[in-house]
Amino acid sequence: MKLRLIISLLLLIATISSCKKWLEVEPESEISAPVLFSTENGFMEALNGIYNRCSETDLYGKELTFGTPEVLAQNYTMGYNEGLNYTPTSQYNYNDSKFIERKDKIWAGLYNAIVNANLILENIDKKKNIFTGVNYGLIKGEALALRAYLHFDLLRLFAPSYLRNASGKGVPYASAYTKDITSMSSVSEVIEKALTDLEAAKKLLAQDPIRSAGYLVNYPVITDTTTNTEERASIPFLQNRRHRLNYYAVCGELARVYLYKNDKTNALNNALEVINAKKFPWTTKADFNAFEEAKKDRILYKELVFAWYIPKSWYVPGPTEDIKENWFVTGTRGLYLNEDAAKSIYETSTGTIDLRFKNWLSITGVGAAKTYDIVKYNRNSQSDASTANLHYLMAPAIRLSELYYIAAECTYPADPQKAITYINTVRFQRDKEDLNVNSQEEFTTALIKECRKEWLGEGQLFYMYKRLNRAIIGQTGTTIPATDKILVLPLPQDEVVYGGR
Amino acid sequence: MKLTFLYNPVFQIRRVRYKLLVVMKLTAILLLIGTMHLSAASYSQNVTVSRKNTTLETVFNDIKRQTGYLFFYNGKINLNKSKLNVELKAVPLEEALQACLVNQNLTYDIVDKTIVIRNKLTDNTSGTATSRFIDISGKVIDSETKQSIPGVNITVKNNKDLRGQTNSDGNFRINAQIGDVLVFSYIGYKIKEVKITDTKPLTVNLSTLVNTIDDVVITGYQTIKKDSYTGNAVTVSGEELKRVNPQNLLQSIQAFDPSFKLLENNLAGSNPNRLPNINVRGSSSLPSGNGEVLRRDNISGNINMPAFILDGFEVNVQKVFDLDINRVASVTLLKDAAATAIYGSRAANGVLVIVTKAPKEGRLLIEYNYETSINSPDLSDYQVLNASEKLQYEKLAGLYDRNVVNRPQDELDQLYYNKLANVVGGVDSYWLSQPVRTAVGQKHSVNLQGGSETFRYGVDLRYQARPGVMKGSSRNQYSGGMNFQYNKDNKFQFRNDLSITQMEARESPYGNFANYVRMNPYYPIKDANGTVLREVDTWKNQAGDQDIVLNPLYDAGLSSFNKSAYTEIIDNLSAELQLAKDLRLKGQMSLTSRMNTDDIFTSPMANEFYFYGADRLDEKGSYTDRNRKEVYWDGNMRLTWFKQLGNHALNVLGGVNIRTELSDEKEVTAIGFANDRFTSIGFAKGFGDEGRPQSSINNSRLFGSFLSTNYSYKNKYLLDATLRIDGSSKFGLENKLAPFWSVGLGWNLHQEKFLADNPVISQLRLKVSTGLTGSVEFAPYLSRTTYKYLNGNWYSTGIGAIVNNYGNENLSWQKTQMTDIGIDLGLFHDRVFISPRIYRKFTKDILADITLPPSTGFFSYKENLGDMENKGAEISIKWDVIRKKDWSINFTANMVANRNKIVRISNALKKYNDRANDLQSVDPKDGGFKGIPLLRYNEGQSINAIYAVPSLGIDPENGRELYRKKDGTLTYAYDKSDIVVVGNADPKANGFFSTTFTYKRFMLSATFETHFGGDMYNQTLVDRIENADPRYNVDKRVFEEKWKKSGDVVFYKNIADLGTTEVNSRFVQPDNMINLSSLYLSYDLDKKYASKLKMSNLRFSATANDLARWSSVKQERGIDYPFARSLTFSINATF
Repeated sequence: MKLRLIISLLLLIATISSCKKWLEVEPESEISAPVLFSTENGFMEALNGIYNRCSETDLYGKELTFGTPEVLAQNYTMGYNEGLNYTPTSQYNYNDSKFIERKDKIWAGLYNAIVNANLILENIDKKKNIFTGVNYGLIKGEALALRAYLHFDLLRLFAPSYLRNASGKGVPYASAYTKDITSMSSVSEVIEKALTDLEAAKKLLAQDPIRSAGYLVNYPVITDTTTNTEERASIPFLQNRRHRLNYYAVCGELARVYLYKNDKTNALNNALEVINAKKFPWTTKADFNAFEEAKKDRILYKELVFAWYIPKSWYVPGPTEDIKENWFVTGTRGLYLNEDAAKSIYETSTGTIDLRFKNWLSITGVGAAKTYDIVKYNRNSQSDASTANLHYLMAPAIRLSELYYIAAECTYPADPQKAITYINTVRFQRDKEDLNVNSQEEFTTALIKECRKEWLGEGQLFYMYKRLNRAIIGQTGTTIPATDKILVLPLPQDEVVYGGR
Repeated sequence: MKLTFLYNPVFQIRRVRYKLLVVMKLTAILLLIGTMHLSAASYSQNVTVSRKNTTLETVFNDIKRQTGYLFFYNGKINLNKSKLNVELKAVPLEEALQACLVNQNLTYDIVDKTIVIRNKLTDNTSGTATSRFIDISGKVIDSETKQSIPGVNITVKNNKDLRGQTNSDGNFRINAQIGDVLVFSYIGYKIKEVKITDTKPLTVNLSTLVNTIDDVVITGYQTIKKDSYTGNAVTVSGEELKRVNPQNLLQSIQAFDPSFKLLENNLAGSNPNRLPNINVRGSSSLPSGNGEVLRRDNISGNINMPAFILDGFEVNVQKVFDLDINRVASVTLLKDAAATAIYGSRAANGVLVIVTKAPKEGRLLIEYNYETSINSPDLSDYQVLNASEKLQYEKLAGLYDRNVVNRPQDELDQLYYNKLANVVGGVDSYWLSQPVRTAVGQKHSVNLQGGSETFRYGVDLRYQARPGVMKGSSRNQYSGGMNFQYNKDNKFQFRNDLSITQMEARESPYGNFANYVRMNPYYPIKDANGTVLREVDTWKNQAGDQDIVLNPLYDAGLSSFNKSAYTEIIDNLSAELQLAKDLRLKGQMSLTSRMNTDDIFTSPMANEFYFYGADRLDEKGSYTDRNRKEVYWDGNMRLTWFKQLGNHALNVLGGVNIRTELSDEKEVTAIGFANDRFTSIGFAKGFGDEGRPQSSINNSRLFGSFLSTNYSYKNKYLLDATLRIDGSSKFGLENKLAPFWSVGLGWNLHQEKFLADNPVISQLRLKVSTGLTGSVEFAPYLSRTTYKYLNGNWYSTGIGAIVNNYGNENLSWQKTQMTDIGIDLGLFHDRVFISPRIYRKFTKDILADITLPPSTGFFSYKENLGDMENKGAEISIKWDVIRKKDWSINFTANMVANRNKIVRISNALKKYNDRANDLQSVDPKDGGFKGIPLLRYNEGQSINAIYAVPSLGIDPENGRELYRKKDGTLTYAYDKSDIVVVGNADPKANGFFSTTFTYKRFMLSATFETHFGGDMYNQTLVDRIENADPRYNVDKRVFEEKWKKSGDVVFYKNIADLGTTEVNSRFVQPDNMINLSSLYLSYDLDKKYASKLKMSNLRFSATANDLARWSSVKQERGIDYPFARSLTFSINATF
């Protein structure tokens, strides 16, 4: 009896000790982090996930591309009874509930994307040996670059500009996967951290396929591999480098950040690295002007150094009800400019007609009630096929032209003539005659005008006003003085309460 | 053939005294053979045996081989008891037997060719003892009825060989010595011991066991004698449960222990498909997860449910809800830590142990049960206006007054006269009766059982139709089961139970009952041709916008359906092995497989789609197809050791338990149906905006090992101790193993000398227990950081995955510390039994959402943060008022008082309160809860507190409501920041009391339910009187005085005030209720007549449930589905 008892007890102990393993159940309809990060593919999926997250409508899929910052930059005419509920935002009413909701979503969404990047960074070095080819560098580099890119946009929205208050309260720079509250960094600290991440990313991306001479940028509908190799890589993950933060995108972002902290030398170097690579050809006038929708390039696809891939969510006729019903509609309920504003932005009264005015604005209404719909993001309405347009449907993030503008701004104090040449290079592509300026002030004013034309509906102009601390130019030429009150969006209530900010 | 011949003499003897022998066991037969002194002839057969240090069995085998004689002896004779040396050479059989048995205290008889071995009696054959043996005679009677009891077994303590039985008149005669103790035992009666002091005839009173299962506690893992158990458990037999409510097992459990509380859902009413929400000894969880704002009157979620253990295995509440009550042998509710700790991480909310009937040995027994239940809707709380009253009210409310409605007067006049024409023309539709019916349900169940002691079998079949009182709603079940049991000398047992259940449920196509209540009685239901009208009315507002009133009955005529079904197969296999005398090993394995399907079709013609514009023409109609596959494995292995050493009794149980749960759910919704006829999902046009298929797979595992000890000294001092260690895959990676424990102490004072012969106190026990138990009622993967794939939205460089949640690897189980003090007091031979208890249940580490600053990337995560306390007292009283031969009366009462207090909550719940405050002032049609009290969580308050702004009533001066602000000042302005606790829905006490009266074969029993001392927010006064929309039907009390002019002292606000009254204390009313929840009457047919029908038993019974109800709150009950009253007739026949 005793023996039996002992055997039973031993059995019992044996089962207990082996049960710990047995109790680890892996989810099936979702995937646990350790399982995802056990393969190279898992890391690729996690990285793609961040771009996916960013392309949702609360971030670059709408709000940060043609939403709040664009409204704040006075780039839309707000009609009576507009369907977007942005009128209070355009009046800088930061107590408006819709504004608060959108702004809070931007904050939460960007940090949510950041946490995804941090998870990759937390795991990737432990698994370095599972990567093949250049993937380790690409994934880690892009994750770092994304972290910096997203934090920089947070900084540009929710903190005072470097120029006004470099030591002022910035945003928390989240660099670990944790539930613990990340302490607040000052504006300059955030910039330094972002620069550190970006410089590290640049090194990691040294082997980026986009840098090889064989990587030719062109429209996806061009299947000739002697002129287009963007989709030649064997796996999708290595294709379309411009849809992710590639080496040149990181250079572009570095140029942006350095310029923000007024480090013109480094900004220029990085901008020139992209320009001198001659990787990104200018869009031909034939493509820009093409009449046929299927052959028309409105977003100047080849000039995009980096852009978010927006599969189908918001191009007309896209399935997203909100955008279809409220943004891309004809008339005064959606994205539009009244005649005066449109003509004033594109300076139609002087010189030649800007190609951007011709192709991005479409006149509606008659007589005195003439308005212009912004049709920059219109797509071929005849077809839903992926080949219906000349190019993929993208939310522009870094343009080649921006790097020319950065180069111009950085060069002006030393070599005004060269600086103006940079601007004129872009103007030439848009069919505008050369520019002449005689002073720094005139130069800056002209540069802002140029940027406004180029970036219509791309969400970048607001940051420029803020960086330069310049008054925002209204629709009819009135100016709105730059103050932190309007340039710094208030932190979300939850962040203040639960983060102790 | 040979054998039959051999045994003939034995049977002849049996025939001689057949009557006496009929219930006797083999031992008795053998004894009789002995007393008959059958003389044995001498046998010529010789035997040769030569063995050393052998046993009798071996010797007998030798003899059997040599002579061909068979040996016959009963199991009590131990042939292997002692060793002997045998040296016989060709001796006659008889001599050989004598030689073998001489030192064994055994003797023999030879009956034909069978040798019967029996114990040697120290009877009058030995001359010296004769003088001390005397002839004792007497009579055994029932202590209550004074009826004689035939067939009572009588043994002499310390001399098991002396035994006897009472004859058909209850008389007995036995030889015993002065000082011997006679033991009287009979099934259904308590064992009684009588010491012989003289030779006078004895009269022995036996008292009945009121309920045999009362004496033991079945914990699911073991069965323990109640008087040595310190845990708090309430055991009820299936028979008793059925008496209270044959339709709803859970409902009737409540009547025996109101700590087991079914939360009344005023919205769902008596919907047969709505599973009840139950908590035991108060709520011990906080909401987590979806963050939905909760209404006070519609608390959903099953986070508080007790664990249900059916025949040793955990099942869900649905299984218990659908269980055939006829199959239930007993239900035991384990409440305190000492009782539940053995279930470890599942025990915190109490454990309900259900045991189904096991087949009984004997000839084939067929039991047939038929039930028919008549359910009728209880609309007595609805007091709506009739057609003329309604129109009169509309006129008074100014619906036809140009100054109020701002429409042209002639248009309003026309509207009014159209309606008046209806009223005068006799249209007075009683809409409430349209969707309801008196539903007749039925149940047939057949149960076959029988077999020998070694092998027993049982088969049962059931068909049950449970129609609901709303037309078209039903829940029907079919089930079949088969079980068999093999028992080899109690040393090895094997049992298998297989049951298959099929359930089909339908929701009423009539939709929401509230839609009928609001319909105006002057609306005709059908047009002149008898076709159901669709648009019955149109109201216009100032802007000229139309508000079209649709006929809810129109939907009922369409082919829409909402049905669900499941097929469930359960197989339980158990084996038990006796390892040593006191040590038994038991193993159980159970497999449950359940396939659930839901099919919900809404016709494209349904009112729901009436307002779809032309562009959404192809989106009308929808079909949701959902199926869920569930597979549960559950097994346990346990050792029990029972040892009685002198005054020490020790019962030790140790074992392991493994459980895996897998559920796999898939769902797809298709939209766009062409017409009402095509009801299959294949006719759909496509999917909605977010119409991609959904799925979720949940997998969890549990491992537990436990050790439980029950010790008693002299049956006076009792100790229970339990330890269980559970591991669950739901816990965080850092916290995989959880320990739970309990200790209970008890003192049987009635066993002490000073109470031994107390004429009043027959039983007095003191019990104290404390322990720690847990609860893991949360989603399986909360402790992990998980990623989800964005299947619907691939990036150009491949599919993406993004993080889902912050996985808290430190997540642990919710812990409940429970302390219980109780007394069991029996008076006057336990005719009065009182057991009061007090308890404290402190639940800590409740799983809660913690709100994070969004800069962490997440909004919240799960943490063990939140403490809640429930304190309470319970009392149960049983009183056998009268127990006579022909009639008896007894009375029982069970009352509970529970006080809940939230001790600590997380910041997420504080945030929830803010959100509740925000929604409190948003109109319901915009998704808010204006005028509806919401749940809030505040430390120090009860979870059932009612939150509103304190109101002093309507100011007679100006008809405005006067509120009291937080700082004590008075104001007319409603400010939601003044919301405070204005009442508590927890009753002071709630419970049941019942009385049973039996007269001959009749039994009448009534059970009342009551609660008092709590508060209730009378929503009817708000929605249907104060804030009533005069365009729809309202409560009759709407005619009660509203404030009209200065000086009116009234309850309701200014009649001209068309604003919505927000939640305030004016509508909080004291909630006292008494309900005749059950009335039962049965009649057992006299066995004489029953046997003529070839039956051994025939019973007719009737139960009425929820027959009458008195409440201090006059409120509409059953908003979405009315409550029902039911009457069940049943016939139970045993063949």
